Amino acid sequence: MQVLDRVKINQEISDLKKTYGDDRSALLPILQDLQEKYGYLPNLVMQETAHALDIHPVEVESVASFYSFFRRKEKQGKYVLRLCQTISCDLSGKAKVARQLENELGIKFGETTKDGMFTLEYTNCLGMCDQGPALLINDRLFAKVTPEKVPQIIADCRRDFVKSEFPKIVPSNVKKSGPILSHDLKPGEGLKAALKNTRSGVIGLIRESGLKGRGGAGFPTAVKWQLAGAAQSAKKFVVCNADEGEPGTFKDRYLLFDHTEMIFDGMTIAAYAIGADKGFVYLRGEYLYLKKHLQEILENRRQNNLLGENILGKEGFNFDIEIRMGSGAYVCGEETALIESLEGYRGEPRNRPPFPVDTGFQNHPTIVNNVETFLDAALICVKGAKWFNEHGTEKSSGTKLFSVSGDCEKPGIYELPFGITIEQLLKEVKGENAKAVQIGGASGRCVARKDFNRTIAFEDISSGGSIIIFGPQVDMLEVAINFMEFFVEESCGQCTPCRDGNVKLLEGLKLLEKGRCSVSYLNELMRLAETIQLASKCGLGQSSPNAFVSIIENFKSEILGRVPEKA
Amino acid sequence: MEDKEKVITESTVRAPKSTTPSTIKAPEDVGAIGATIKVVIDGKEIRVPLGTTILNAARMLGINIPTLCHHNDLCISGVCRICVVEVEGMRTLQASCAYPISQPIVVHTHTRKVRQARRHVIDLLLARHYGECYSCVRNNNCELQQLAHEYGVDFYRFGHVDKPTYGCDNSSYAIVRDMDKCILCRRCVRTCIDLQEVGVYEAVERGNKTRIGTFMDNPMAQLICINCGQCINRCPTGALHANDPSDAIWAAIDDPTKHVVIQTAPAPRSAIGECFGLPAGNPLTFEMNTAMRYCGFDKVFDTNFSADLTIIEEGTELILRLYKALVKKEPVSLPLFTSCSPGWVKYIEHFYPEMLSHLSSAKSPQQMFGAVIKTYYAELNNIDPADIVTVALMPCTAKKFECNRPEMNSSGFKDIDYGLTTRELAGMFQEAGIDLPNMPKSDFDEPFGTRTGSGVIFGATGGVMESAIRTVYELITGDRIDNLFEHARVMPVRGFEGVRYAELPITKVGPVPDLLKHLIPNWDWLKGATLKVAVAHGTANAKKVLENIKSGGKLSECHFIEFMACPGGCLGGGGMPIPTNEEIRAARARAIYAEDEASEVRKSYENPAIIRLYQEFLVDGPCGHKSHKLLHTSYMPRGKKLV
Repeated sequence: MQVLDRVKINQEISDLKKTYGDDRSALLPILQDLQEKYGYLPNLVMQETAHALDIHPVEVESVASFYSFFRRKEKQGKYVLRLCQTISCDLSGKAKVARQLENELGIKFGETTKDGMFTLEYTNCLGMCDQGPALLINDRLFAKVTPEKVPQIIADCRRDFVKSEFPKIVPSNVKKSGPILSHDLKPGEGLKAALKNTRSGVIGLIRESGLKGRGGAGFPTAVKWQLAGAAQSAKKFVVCNADEGEPGTFKDRYLLFDHTEMIFDGMTIAAYAIGADKGFVYLRGEYLYLKKHLQEILENRRQNNLLGENILGKEGFNFDIEIRMGSGAYVCGEETALIESLEGYRGEPRNRPPFPVDTGFQNHPTIVNNVETFLDAALICVKGAKWFNEHGTEKSSGTKLFSVSGDCEKPGIYELPFGITIEQLLKEVKGENAKAVQIGGASGRCVARKDFNRTIAFEDISSGGSIIIFGPQVDMLEVAINFMEFFVEESCGQCTPCRDGNVKLLEGLKLLEKGRCSVSYLNELMRLAETIQLASKCGLGQSSPNAFVSIIENFKSEILGRVPEKA
Repeated sequence: MEDKEKVITESTVRAPKSTTPSTIKAPEDVGAIGATIKVVIDGKEIRVPLGTTILNAARMLGINIPTLCHHNDLCISGVCRICVVEVEGMRTLQASCAYPISQPIVVHTHTRKVRQARRHVIDLLLARHYGECYSCVRNNNCELQQLAHEYGVDFYRFGHVDKPTYGCDNSSYAIVRDMDKCILCRRCVRTCIDLQEVGVYEAVERGNKTRIGTFMDNPMAQLICINCGQCINRCPTGALHANDPSDAIWAAIDDPTKHVVIQTAPAPRSAIGECFGLPAGNPLTFEMNTAMRYCGFDKVFDTNFSADLTIIEEGTELILRLYKALVKKEPVSLPLFTSCSPGWVKYIEHFYPEMLSHLSSAKSPQQMFGAVIKTYYAELNNIDPADIVTVALMPCTAKKFECNRPEMNSSGFKDIDYGLTTRELAGMFQEAGIDLPNMPKSDFDEPFGTRTGSGVIFGATGGVMESAIRTVYELITGDRIDNLFEHARVMPVRGFEGVRYAELPITKVGPVPDLLKHLIPNWDWLKGATLKVAVAHGTANAKKVLENIKSGGKLSECHFIEFMACPGGCLGGGGMPIPTNEEIRAARARAIYAEDEASEVRKSYENPAIIRLYQEFLVDGPCGHKSHKLLHTSYMPRGKKLV
């Protein structure tokens, strides 16, 4: 590049540093803006960014190469078409849409058209599983795409969506509301109620409600807040984990759009309870289209003193929320990976202990909670613990949002009490015909018919809300392959069992597909799966073989001894 | 003289780091209630300070837990998962290297789950590890091979790659990268970013595509690499190794028209025994001399000679700069920086080119010796310098780059033809069937054969400074340094602290010695002055010093600063036997200081070979015209931009 370019780039970077700060945690936002501007991250841009932040160029390249939304080699097209490759969209006809996209654009996936208009890519779950196949074009989402619609979509792109017949915002699909979703609270109402209470009173109320983390791990929210509240530190942080990446989950996308105020209420209540003055919403890159909406609400809240200094007249209670975008990495849903990402590193999970409540963002106590958890917490502060825990089971109190997709008549978002059996759930969504249900997404478990009397609850089959239903026609081996491909791609790559082990599991599935896997080797792979579950560094790795193990265990006869069709 | 004190706090410099450290802080007072915790490992009980890792607790108990990504010199990583153990009450296995103990726990280190997991980890690493052990430079000294052996690997459970994926990067004079052997332990990343702050490597891509990359995937020769080779010393496999010139050296030895001389730096002798099974700290100086002659080297010289020469030249340069600054009030760059360490020289050329004027123009001892051999020695022995092949046995990989710098040929010939590391010489000995520890002893060859302690201590961090202090102090005061420091041990500059600072008051002055009479009329201007010096080792520490100087901190008042690129100085060099750690480096240092104490000459200016050189050859004295031509050099502001 020319000298002039260098000067210009440095000026841009120095402007961005003014917006995002000059420490390493500014790295991702800066790169996101620069990529937006240049269509990719040229070497010069990475180098100058590194030197501006006093790190090494290879560190910037390392980070850029980790997140799938960054491009380093060639410029991306004006429109980046990202087709969801998750199993739900597979089940609703993704393959045909993919073929038609290639046909219309004259390129293959991973390529850019010669005129620089279109880049075609696969992406992991877009959170539209109930309305698949889903296609994301820059920050515009398309649902229920069919091959017939493809030419029109491309034509609309060429016209920059002027007079597009496609809706700008895809409506969410709430099929059943419960106490949570049907609340009628006004902005700030949850916060006001909480501020009447003491800090420990708030935590006590949450404890009484029995609220457990809605992300899937089910850690008691009150304990998390209690630990962070008790930690001694000048700075503390509240992080809303809006990196909803689990295949088959889409309830957070809906909540972030329709229940934004209560989520922010929840975050502010958490800040009050633990003594934090800064919060982040870590929003997945795929949900970029929600950013503007969230920012508008935040601005509103600042105007109404629901954020800012001495919030609602509470002397010394200062809190504000910043939105940070992810850049396409499922693993960042793991709380320590998310923190690493916020700090400007690769989203690689940390060793634990120490835990984030003690050593989190920039080594300060940090709580990371799911979107739904914050919503529940805000509602509990107004309506009380009993209102919440009269639903659900003793160990899994309250209702839970489920994202239901796959082979059923009524896919969508359901609010149901914990403790519901799979059978009851299938009846509710009209999917009684199912031969298996994947509960908890790719990292969850595949439950076969014989176990449909099991319950969904932390003490039985735990779930962050993803329910994917497989009808009788579904090839379970293909399902397993889809999930393992997902983990091979989405593993952060740092620890051996997850990085290399999942590759071996996938290779084993490919052998099964060819009908060329001995039972003794399959048993070896099952032992390897156990190792991955036991020895991986983080929750992603530890749960990555769950789908593999449960599908092999439940569908051995369907999977073994295949005779492949002749090509 | 003031005792060494901590002049740099961690917070003064913003440092990039390869990862966010996540550990529990050890209690300040181990005696306090709750500061220690009871741990039971394999039925054995011990109390450890809060935050001790399971691995360290096990080591205290003498229980062996295998490690791969863990290295005592580096921050905790916990990625390879070979060190997993079972902790009672926990669902998953825990990486013992990364698990800080914060409550009483019961640990089992070899249950079924643990054994299975370890075996799987090894099997998985082997599945992607290309190459055969017998064609690998690290055969018999490879941590992966050792683990495969210990865990009874007798077949490739998950297959094995039969084709290379990356190919070998031979572009650098110093470091060869063979990424097909990489097992992604990331020790090189942590070494280069955290320990050295050079930042050549990082993990790139993710998932199963993760690999250790360089910026823009440039080959090693086209990177901001200082060639220090610390990554090699910490690589568990053969993925990183030095560019070995021994075949070319054998060819020169075999060529009857060539006169092949080897000079041996101080550090290798303290460590080469480690390649022959001896514990660290057993010097084999004189056995090595015999062995080198046995290999066919025509002459065996001691780099200590040119280390002394460096002291005279660099010391004179220091005095001249001080004289200019204090008496003539001319603008000169102070503090003066040493220039013996080629890794350090390349570091400052890349990262602080604006400070190059501080760098002494004196060549390193290796290069000085080469220039002297191809001129003075060639004349003395009537050998055509074109027929002389100079080999330098060094603890260092950066020396391979240094000897190939185009400017290093002031005699009209390359000062040094080949830089050979300690490991590579051990390889040549093994090839020649030499059992080094049992070789008879013999001395170095004349005319540079004086045993000099002021030269040998160059091998340890602080050694150049100590040697300079001994000579400069005596030249200025006419007094013996032994009156100030017992046995001339300048303790304030010794040790392994990253940055050390010391002051030396000049309370009286003596007559100007003959050697310097043509440069300085008298010493009066130094009377009552305090000489301020500092020592830094490892380029991360060098960075701290440079930033302190730039910000006008305490170190900007220094007159002279010794920098060594490698932690520990040369004895921790990138060409030294593997493994390395703090204890090994300390043992090598002890061997070096012991050799110093046993030497007949311990001050450079008293070395008769040096005196003779200035009388017979460098007749216009230190920093004179001839020495400037042969013994001094210039530097290149390289900068840190690749695009």
